[in-house]
Amino acid sequence: MTASLTISLKRVNKIYHEGEIIAGVVIVDTAADLRHEGLTLTMEGSVNLQISSKNAGIFDAFSNNIRPINLINTSIELAAAGKMPIGVTEIPFEMPLVGRQSSMSLGLLETYHGVFVNVMYTLKCSMKRSFLNKPLNASCQFFVQYKQQERPPSKPVRCEVSPATLRAGGGAGAARGTVPHFQLYAEIDSTVCALDRPITGKIRVDECSVAIKSIELQLVRVETCGSAEGYSKDEFELNIAVIFEDDYLVTENFPILLLRSK
Amino acid sequence: MPTYYKWCSVKKEKQKHEYPSLEVTNHPLRVEVHNLKHNSNKSLLKSLQKWSSSFEELDPLLRFEQMDLENNSEPTIESDATVNYSKIWSVKRTAILNKYTTGEKLTIISSYLPGGEKTLLRQVSNLNEKVKHRLEQLDDFDESSVRKTMGLSQQEFVTKIHMLDDEIKKAWETEQRVKAFKIAIQCSKLLSDISVMQFYPSKFVLISDVLDNFGKLVYDRLKKKSFGDAAIELEDIDSGLVPESARETCQNWMFKMASIRELLPRLYMEMSLLKCYVFISKDEIKPAIARLITMIRGIGNPLVAIYIRVYLCKVASALYGKESECYFHDNLKEFLEEYQQIFQPAMAKKFGAQLLTADKYLSLYIPAIDWLLYGTLNTIPCKLTLLDELLQLCDKTENSELLLYCIVSGFDSPNIIKKSSAILDTIKKSAEHMVLLSPILSALGEHLCHADVYRQLSSEALSQTWWKIVSNMKSTANFLQVLEPWIQFACTQLSAQHINMLLRGTIRYMIKCGKPIDDYSSQIQLVVKRMLKSIPDVEELFLMDAFMPLVELVQTSNARTMMAKTVLLVFFERCNSVQIEDHIIIASLMRLCCILHEAINAVTVEDELKISSDLINKYIQTVSYQDDAREQLNFYVECRSAFIKLDSVLKTLVHAVHALANRARPSRSRWLSRACAAYSFVTVPSLQCALCRAQLYLLGAHAALLVACVGQAEANLKAFVSLIPDIPLYVQEDGQNKPTHVKVVGLLSNFLSTLLILPDNVDSSSKAYILSGFIKTMERIHWRKTDPLYYTLLLRTLDLLCNLTQEKYIYHIDGVISNDELYGSEEEFIDVLENYATNICQELLVVLKALGDAKETNKQYNLALELFWRIIKRGDLREGSMTSLAINLWVLSQKLQDSNNKFAKTLLSALERDTSEEGRLLFDKLNET
Repeated sequence: MTASLTISLKRVNKIYHEGEIIAGVVIVDTAADLRHEGLTLTMEGSVNLQISSKNAGIFDAFSNNIRPINLINTSIELAAAGKMPIGVTEIPFEMPLVGRQSSMSLGLLETYHGVFVNVMYTLKCSMKRSFLNKPLNASCQFFVQYKQQERPPSKPVRCEVSPATLRAGGGAGAARGTVPHFQLYAEIDSTVCALDRPITGKIRVDECSVAIKSIELQLVRVETCGSAEGYSKDEFELNIAVIFEDDYLVTENFPILLLRSK
Repeated sequence: MPTYYKWCSVKKEKQKHEYPSLEVTNHPLRVEVHNLKHNSNKSLLKSLQKWSSSFEELDPLLRFEQMDLENNSEPTIESDATVNYSKIWSVKRTAILNKYTTGEKLTIISSYLPGGEKTLLRQVSNLNEKVKHRLEQLDDFDESSVRKTMGLSQQEFVTKIHMLDDEIKKAWETEQRVKAFKIAIQCSKLLSDISVMQFYPSKFVLISDVLDNFGKLVYDRLKKKSFGDAAIELEDIDSGLVPESARETCQNWMFKMASIRELLPRLYMEMSLLKCYVFISKDEIKPAIARLITMIRGIGNPLVAIYIRVYLCKVASALYGKESECYFHDNLKEFLEEYQQIFQPAMAKKFGAQLLTADKYLSLYIPAIDWLLYGTLNTIPCKLTLLDELLQLCDKTENSELLLYCIVSGFDSPNIIKKSSAILDTIKKSAEHMVLLSPILSALGEHLCHADVYRQLSSEALSQTWWKIVSNMKSTANFLQVLEPWIQFACTQLSAQHINMLLRGTIRYMIKCGKPIDDYSSQIQLVVKRMLKSIPDVEELFLMDAFMPLVELVQTSNARTMMAKTVLLVFFERCNSVQIEDHIIIASLMRLCCILHEAINAVTVEDELKISSDLINKYIQTVSYQDDAREQLNFYVECRSAFIKLDSVLKTLVHAVHALANRARPSRSRWLSRACAAYSFVTVPSLQCALCRAQLYLLGAHAALLVACVGQAEANLKAFVSLIPDIPLYVQEDGQNKPTHVKVVGLLSNFLSTLLILPDNVDSSSKAYILSGFIKTMERIHWRKTDPLYYTLLLRTLDLLCNLTQEKYIYHIDGVISNDELYGSEEEFIDVLENYATNICQELLVVLKALGDAKETNKQYNLALELFWRIIKRGDLREGSMTSLAINLWVLSQKLQDSNNKFAKTLLSALERDTSEEGRLLFDKLNET
C-alpha cells in the first residue's frame, strides 16, 4: 500500500517573477485506492537569518535565533476529502505569486542562498489521511527573480590600486614593507548587475616594479544582518578568476568577465 | 629408305615476274619517319626519351602522392569564390604536424589516464600541510587524483591525447558529462606547458582537435534537445524557438565554463563552446568573440597567446566563414601590439634552456602568423595599403624579421614584387642581426621568380642590393638556399652577363668560405638545376665562362657524377633543338659525359649504367657538325675512346657512323664510306655481348655492300661466321635469362640472304668461300640434331643454295656484281653448290630419323613436309633421285599423320596446279601410294 506524491512545475528552470502565476501539477501515484482527508498546496517564502559565530556574543544576549521573516504564505485546497483512484493522478494547479501586502517589506525578495542569510521559496503539498496513517508530504523549491528591467545607464566605476590603497588585514599589514611598487587602474562598467549577466570591466597595469606572476580577480559577496543592535557583516569569496598569468609585464587593458555561479 | 639422294636444283627461266610488284612513290617505312619528323618540331629528344624509358608504371608512392594532389586540387577549384577555411585549416594542420616534431621527452598531466606516477601537484610547505597532504593521498583512490606521466616520446604523447579524446567520448556516452568536461579542461591546460617548445604547434593541433570534438558533443546534444533529430544547420537555428530546458542546460554549461579559475582553460573552453551560444541568443556570439580577442591579452606567454588566437580564428571561421575574417584582422592587430613580447629576455632564456636556436624558436610562430595573415588578407580590399602599413611597422620596430618573413611569405607575388625594393632595403638595414635572413630572402626570391618578364623593374639594382646582403652571409648552407630562387630570378630577368657575374661571385664565395665544398654538393646541384630549368635558352648557360667551373666545383667523384647527371638530364629535357652545333657546348657536354663515364666501375649497378649510357647516347645523337663529315667522324672516334666502358654507347656509335656513311653516300667520295666501314669493323670487337657483335658485323656488311666495299663486307661476314659458335644460348635481359634462339634464327637467315648478293672471293681456292665457311662452322658446332634451330637453319641454307644456282638472282645491289654475273652459272660453281645441297639434304634425313627416334612425331611430320615442299619447288624433278626422295617423304608424312592435315593438303593442291610434266607425274605417283 504505497503511495507517492510529487510536485512538478511547468517551467523547467523554476524561475518566476513577482506577479506571475506558478503553474504545475501534483502527481499522485498509488498502488491501491487511496482514501484521504484532503489535499492542500502551500506556497511559502521566508527570510532566514543565522548568527555567525563571530558576532555570536552580541546577539546571544538577546535571542539565539532570529525569527524567520515571512514573505509569502498562501494555501489552496487541491482536492476535498475523498478517494484517489489507483494509478497515476495528475492534479493541475495555478497560484499567483504575490507578496504579502501586510508585510513590512516592499515585496518579494530574490531567492538567495547564503551562509547566514537565506531567502527561500517552497511549494509544499500535503495530503491528510485518516487516523493511523501518516500524512503524505512533498515539497519543491522555486526561485524568485526580479523582473528583467531596463538596464540602468551604465555608470562606470573607476578605481586605482597601489600599495597605499591596500587594506591592512589578513597578515598583509606586517608585510607592507615588502609589497613592491605597483599601480593598477581598474574600471567596472556598472555596479548594478543582473544576476544572469556577467560583470564586465577592465584592468590596466600602469606600473609594476617586478614581473607579474598572475593577477587574480575575486568576486566577494557581503552579507549584512541588521538588527536593532547593529549590523553583522560577513564576506565570502564567490568566484576567483585569473585574468592574467605568466611573468611578463605588459601594461594593457585586461577585460574582466565574471559570472556568478549558481 | 635409300641413304643417298643427289640433289639437283631446277633452273628457273622466268625471273622477271616471279613476285608481284607495284610501283610506289615512297618507301613503306618512310611513313614512320615522316611522323617522327612532325613530332620532332617539338622535341625529338622527348620522343626518344619516351621510347627509351622503360618504367611506364609510376612508382606506387608517387602515384599516391599524385592521387592526393588530384583530390586536393578538385575542391579548391570549386570553392574559388568563398574561401573554405576548414579545408585550408586541414591542410595547414597536416603541415604543422609534419613540421614540428621532437625527440624530446614529453610530459602529460591528467587524472584520466591509466598508469603514470601518482603525484599530487601541490607544494607541500609546512607541517600542517604535510599531514593534510598525506591524508589526502590516502583518500586519493578515486579518479580525481592528478597523475603526471613523464618521459613520453612524441608518439606516446599523441596516443595519450587520442586516449583522452576517446575517454571524453566514452564519458559522454555514459552520461558522465561533467567528467568529460573535466577531461577537456585538463587537455586545454596542457597547452600552458611550453617545456618542449618545438613540439608546441603540433601539441596545439592535437589538443584543439580534442576540444573541437568536445564542443561538438555539447552542441549536438543541445541541438537534439531543442529540435530532436531534425537536421538543422547552425544558421537556421532561431534562438527564440529553443525550448526552455535546452536553454537552461546551455546556460548551465556556460556558467560552468565561466567558473573555471584559470585563464587559459577558461578561454579554450569558451571557444570550444562558442557555437552553443546560439541556444541562448544568436546575438551573443559576436560580442563574445570580440571579448575573447581582448581577453587573450591576459596570457603573457607569446607562444601560448598566439596559438590561442589561432584557435579562436579557427572556431570563428567555422561559425561564420567569410564574415569571420574581421576577427583575423583584429587578432593580428592584437598580436602586433604585443609583438615585442616574443623577444623578451625571459623567453630567450627559456628557449635557450631547451637548446633551441633563435631561428628555430621564431619558426614556431610562423604557422600561427601565417594563419592570421591569411584570413586578414581575404578581408582587406586593398592589399597594397596593408602591405605598406605592415612594412612601415617593420621599419619602425625592432626584431621585425619574424613579421617580415610572414609578410613576404603570406602576401601574393604581384604586391610583393611591387614593394620588393622597399623590402630589400628593410632587410639590408638589419641584415646582420637577422636569424631568419635566409628564409626571408629566399621567400622574396620565389616571389620575384613570378615577375613578368616584360616588366623590367629595377632588376639589376635589386640583384645588386641582394648580392651585397648575401655575400656577407656567414652560413654557406643558407647562402646556397637563398641563391636558389634568386638565381632563377636572375636567369629570367637579367642578361647573361649578369648571371655570369653572379656565378663568378658564387664560386668566389664558395672558395672563400673555407669549408669543404662537397658538403654542399646537393645544394649546389639544386642551384644548377634551377638555373637550367629557368633560363630561357639552355645553351646560353654553357656559353658563360663561370658555369662549368661551378658545376665542377665539387670534387668527390660521387658528387661530380651526380652533378653531371643532373645537368645532362635537365639539359636534354630543356634543349629544344634537335642538333647541337656549338663547339663550346659540345666540349662542355663531352666533359660532363666523361665524368659520368669515369664513375663507372665494376660495382656500378645496372640501372645506373642504363641511365648513364642513355644520357651519353642522347649526347652522341644530338651532336652534329652539319656537313663536315670529317669532323663528325673525328668526334665519333673521340667518343669511342672516351666511352669505351659502355657497350650501349659503342653500339650507338656504330649506328651513328653507319648513318653518317649513308647520309654522305651520294655526294661524298668513297673515302668516307671506307673510313666508316673501317670504324665499325674496328669498334665492334670491343663489345661484350657476342650476339650484339654478330648483329653489328652483319649490319657492317650490309653497309659495306651498299657502298660496294666488297672486301670490307667479306671481312665483316667472315668475322660474323667465326662468331657463331660464341653466341650464347641465353642472354641476361631485365634480370632474366632469355633464350637467344629466335634472334639467332632471324640473324642467320638475314645473313644467308646477304650471302646471295655477296660476290665470291675470286682469290680463294674454294668456290662460295663464305658459305662453305659457314657450312663448316655449322658442322663444327655440336648442335642437337633434334633442335628446331638446327634443322630450320639447314632448310634455309638449302634455300640459299638453290637460289645461288639460278642464272639470275632475285635481288641485287646496284654496283655490286653478284655471283650470277661473276660466274655466269659456271659448271664448276654449280657442282660445288649441288654438292653442298646434297650433303645438307643428307643431314636433314639424318635429322628426320633422329626425330623419329626421339618420338617427336609432330616435328618429324612438319620437317618431312617442309623438305618435300622444297623438293617439288626447287628440286629438279626430272632427276629420279629427287622424285623418289619426294615420294618417300610423302609416304613418311602420310604414315605419321593422315593427309587431311591442312599443310599437306595445301602442298598437294599446289602440286596439282603444277603444269610441268614432271610435276604431273609426281602427283600421279603420290596419288597411287
